[in-house]
Amino acid sequence: MGIEIILKIAAVGILTSVVNQVLKYCGKEEISTLTTLAGLIVVLVMVVNLISQLFNTVKSLFSL
Amino acid sequence: MDIIKVIAVGIITAICVVILKQVKPEMVIVTIIAGTIVILFLIMEAVGNIFGEYKYLLDKTGLNSGIFTSVLKVIGVGYLVEFAGDICNDAGVGSISQKILLAGKVLIIIMCLPVIKNLINIILEFIQ
Repeated sequence: MGIEIILKIAAVGILTSVVNQVLKYCGKEEISTLTTLAGLIVVLVMVVNLISQLFNTVKSLFSL
Repeated sequence: MDIIKVIAVGIITAICVVILKQVKPEMVIVTIIAGTIVILFLIMEAVGNIFGEYKYLLDKTGLNSGIFTSVLKVIGVGYLVEFAGDICNDAGVGSISQKILLAGKVLIIIMCLPVIKNLINIILEFIQ
Protein backbone atom coordinates (compact mmCIF):
# COMPACT_ATOMS: atom_id res chain seq x y z
CA MET A 1 0.00 0.00 0.00
CA GLY A 2 2.06 2.86 -1.24
CA ILE A 3 2.74 4.90 -4.29
CA GLU A 4 3.07 1.94 -6.64
CA ILE A 5 -0.68 1.82 -7.24
CA ILE A 6 -0.71 5.49 -8.22
CA LEU A 7 2.29 5.14 -10.50
CA LYS A 8 0.66 2.07 -12.09
CA ILE A 9 -2.48 4.05 -12.89
CA ALA A 10 -0.49 6.95 -14.32
CA ALA A 11 1.57 4.53 -16.40
CA VAL A 12 -1.56 2.91 -17.83
CA GLY A 13 -2.92 6.34 -18.69
CA ILE A 14 0.22 7.47 -20.47
CA LEU A 15 0.58 4.11 -22.26
CA THR A 16 -3.01 4.30 -23.52
CA SER A 17 -2.47 7.76 -24.94
CA VAL A 18 0.77 6.65 -26.65
CA VAL A 19 -1.02 3.68 -28.20
CA ASN A 20 -3.76 6.03 -29.35
CA GLN A 21 -1.25 8.32 -31.03
CA VAL A 22 0.30 5.35 -32.86
CA LEU A 23 -3.09 4.03 -33.93
CA LYS A 24 -4.12 7.51 -35.14
CA TYR A 25 -0.90 7.66 -37.14
CA CYS A 26 -1.68 4.29 -38.77
CA GLY A 27 -5.16 5.53 -39.61
CA LYS A 28 -7.04 3.08 -37.34
CA GLU A 29 -9.20 5.68 -35.55
CA GLU A 30 -11.90 3.30 -34.32
CA ILE A 31 -9.44 0.99 -32.57
CA SER A 32 -7.97 3.91 -30.63
CA THR A 33 -11.30 4.57 -28.91
CA LEU A 34 -11.40 0.90 -27.92
CA THR A 35 -7.90 1.12 -26.47
CA THR A 36 -8.92 4.13 -24.40
CA LEU A 37 -11.89 2.16 -23.11
CA ALA A 38 -9.73 -0.85 -22.29
CA GLY A 39 -7.20 1.28 -20.44
CA LEU A 40 -9.95 2.95 -18.45
CA ILE A 41 -11.53 -0.38 -17.53
CA VAL A 42 -8.21 -1.82 -16.33
CA VAL A 43 -7.66 1.21 -14.12
CA LEU A 44 -11.25 1.15 -12.86
CA VAL A 45 -10.90 -2.48 -11.81
CA MET A 46 -7.76 -1.60 -9.85
CA VAL A 47 -9.48 1.32 -8.15
CA VAL A 48 -12.60 -0.65 -7.35
CA ASN A 49 -10.47 -3.22 -5.54
CA LEU A 50 -8.79 -0.40 -3.63
CA ILE A 51 -12.15 1.12 -2.66
CA SER A 52 -13.52 -2.21 -1.44
CA GLN A 53 -10.38 -2.70 0.65
CA LEU A 54 -10.87 0.77 2.14
CA PHE A 55 -14.53 0.14 2.96
CA ASN A 56 -13.74 -3.19 4.63
CA THR A 57 -11.02 -1.58 6.75
CA VAL A 58 -13.26 1.31 7.75
CA LYS A 59 -16.11 -1.05 8.55
CA SER A 60 -13.91 -3.15 10.80
CA LEU A 61 -12.20 -0.18 12.43
CA PHE A 62 -15.28 1.96 13.14
CA SER A 63 -17.53 -1.06 13.79
CA LEU A 64 -20.07 0.39 11.35
CA MET B 1 1.96 6.78 10.28
CA ASP B 2 5.01 8.75 9.16
CA ILE B 3 4.15 12.13 7.82
CA ILE B 4 6.94 11.99 5.25
CA LYS B 5 5.20 9.14 3.45
CA VAL B 6 1.88 10.93 3.47
CA ILE B 7 3.45 14.05 1.98
CA ALA B 8 5.33 12.01 -0.62
CA VAL B 9 2.18 10.18 -1.71
CA GLY B 10 0.28 13.46 -1.90
CA ILE B 11 2.87 15.23 -4.02
CA ILE B 12 3.34 12.26 -6.36
CA THR B 13 -0.42 12.00 -6.86
CA ALA B 14 -0.59 15.71 -7.61
CA ILE B 15 2.18 15.38 -10.20
CA CYS B 16 0.52 12.35 -11.81
CA VAL B 17 -2.77 14.26 -11.95
CA VAL B 18 -1.11 17.24 -13.65
CA ILE B 19 0.56 14.99 -16.22
CA LEU B 20 -2.59 13.00 -16.87
CA LYS B 21 -4.61 16.22 -17.34
CA GLN B 22 -2.59 16.83 -20.50
CA VAL B 23 -2.27 13.28 -21.71
CA LYS B 24 -5.43 11.45 -20.67
CA PRO B 25 -8.08 13.60 -18.87
CA GLU B 26 -10.35 10.60 -18.13
CA MET B 27 -7.74 9.08 -15.81
CA VAL B 28 -7.49 12.19 -13.62
CA ILE B 29 -10.39 11.41 -11.30
CA VAL B 30 -9.32 7.77 -10.95
CA THR B 31 -5.81 8.81 -9.92
CA ILE B 32 -7.23 11.25 -7.37
CA ILE B 33 -9.37 8.46 -5.89
CA ALA B 34 -6.38 6.12 -5.68
CA GLY B 35 -4.15 8.76 -4.10
CA THR B 36 -6.79 9.66 -1.50
CA ILE B 37 -7.32 6.03 -0.58
CA VAL B 38 -3.58 5.40 -0.16
CA ILE B 39 -3.32 8.38 2.19
CA LEU B 40 -6.36 7.19 4.15
CA PHE B 41 -4.75 3.77 4.53
CA LEU B 42 -1.59 5.38 5.88
CA ILE B 43 -3.71 7.23 8.47
CA MET B 44 -5.93 4.23 9.34
CA GLU B 45 -3.39 2.59 11.61
CA ALA B 46 -2.96 5.75 13.72
CA VAL B 47 -6.74 6.13 14.01
CA GLY B 48 -6.93 2.54 15.25
CA ASN B 49 -4.40 3.31 18.00
CA ILE B 50 -6.31 6.43 19.05
CA PHE B 51 -9.55 4.50 19.41
CA GLY B 52 -7.76 1.79 21.36
CA GLU B 53 -6.54 4.39 23.86
CA TYR B 54 -9.98 5.97 24.15
CA LYS B 55 -11.57 2.60 24.80
CA TYR B 56 -9.01 1.96 27.54
CA LEU B 57 -9.77 5.34 29.14
CA LEU B 58 -13.51 4.75 28.81
CA ASP B 59 -13.30 1.39 30.55
CA LYS B 60 -11.59 3.15 33.43
CA THR B 61 -14.44 5.65 33.80
CA GLY B 62 -17.05 2.88 33.89
CA LEU B 63 -19.44 4.43 31.39
CA ASN B 64 -21.36 1.95 29.24
CA SER B 65 -19.55 1.40 25.96
CA GLY B 66 -22.76 1.90 23.91
CA ILE B 67 -22.07 5.61 23.72
CA PHE B 68 -18.50 5.03 22.55
CA THR B 69 -19.58 2.73 19.72
CA SER B 70 -22.06 5.33 18.50
CA VAL B 71 -19.31 7.97 18.60
CA LEU B 72 -17.17 5.59 16.54
CA LYS B 73 -19.99 5.09 14.06
CA VAL B 74 -20.51 8.84 13.68
CA ILE B 75 -16.82 9.41 13.08
CA GLY B 76 -16.72 6.56 10.56
CA VAL B 77 -19.68 7.94 8.63
CA GLY B 78 -18.15 11.40 8.68
CA TYR B 79 -14.83 9.95 7.50
CA LEU B 80 -16.37 8.20 4.49
CA VAL B 81 -18.84 10.95 3.56
CA GLU B 82 -16.10 13.55 3.49
CA PHE B 83 -13.94 11.20 1.39
CA ALA B 84 -16.70 10.74 -1.21
CA GLY B 85 -17.78 14.39 -1.11
CA ASP B 86 -14.28 15.70 -1.79
CA ILE B 87 -13.80 13.30 -4.69
CA CYS B 88 -17.07 14.43 -6.26
CA ASN B 89 -15.92 18.03 -5.78
CA ASP B 90 -12.67 17.27 -7.58
CA ALA B 91 -14.58 15.59 -10.38
CA GLY B 92 -16.43 18.88 -10.84
CA VAL B 93 -19.87 17.70 -9.72
CA GLY B 94 -20.32 19.94 -6.67
CA SER B 95 -24.05 19.26 -6.47
CA ILE B 96 -23.57 15.50 -5.97
CA SER B 97 -20.99 16.21 -3.29
CA GLN B 98 -23.51 18.38 -1.45
CA LYS B 99 -26.11 15.60 -1.66
CA ILE B 100 -23.64 13.08 -0.22
CA LEU B 101 -22.86 15.46 2.64
CA LEU B 102 -26.59 15.93 3.26
CA ALA B 103 -27.11 12.18 3.37
CA GLY B 104 -24.21 11.88 5.81
CA LYS B 105 -25.70 14.52 8.10
CA VAL B 106 -29.08 12.80 8.08
CA LEU B 107 -27.47 9.47 8.90
CA ILE B 108 -25.46 11.01 11.76
CA ILE B 109 -28.60 12.57 13.24
CA ILE B 110 -30.31 9.18 13.11
CA MET B 111 -27.35 7.57 14.84
CA CYS B 112 -27.35 10.18 17.59
CA LEU B 113 -31.04 9.81 18.46
CA PRO B 114 -30.54 6.98 21.03
CA VAL B 115 -27.84 8.96 22.82
CA ILE B 116 -30.10 12.01 23.01
CA LYS B 117 -32.91 9.86 24.39
CA ASN B 118 -30.57 8.55 27.10
CA LEU B 119 -29.61 12.10 28.00
CA ILE B 120 -33.22 13.22 28.27
CA ASN B 121 -34.13 10.24 30.45
CA ILE B 122 -31.21 10.94 32.77
CA ILE B 123 -32.23 14.59 33.09
CA LEU B 124 -35.86 13.66 33.77
CA GLU B 125 -34.75 11.30 36.53
CA PHE B 126 -32.86 14.15 38.17
CA ILE B 127 -35.90 16.45 38.01
CA GLN B 128 -38.40 13.96 39.47
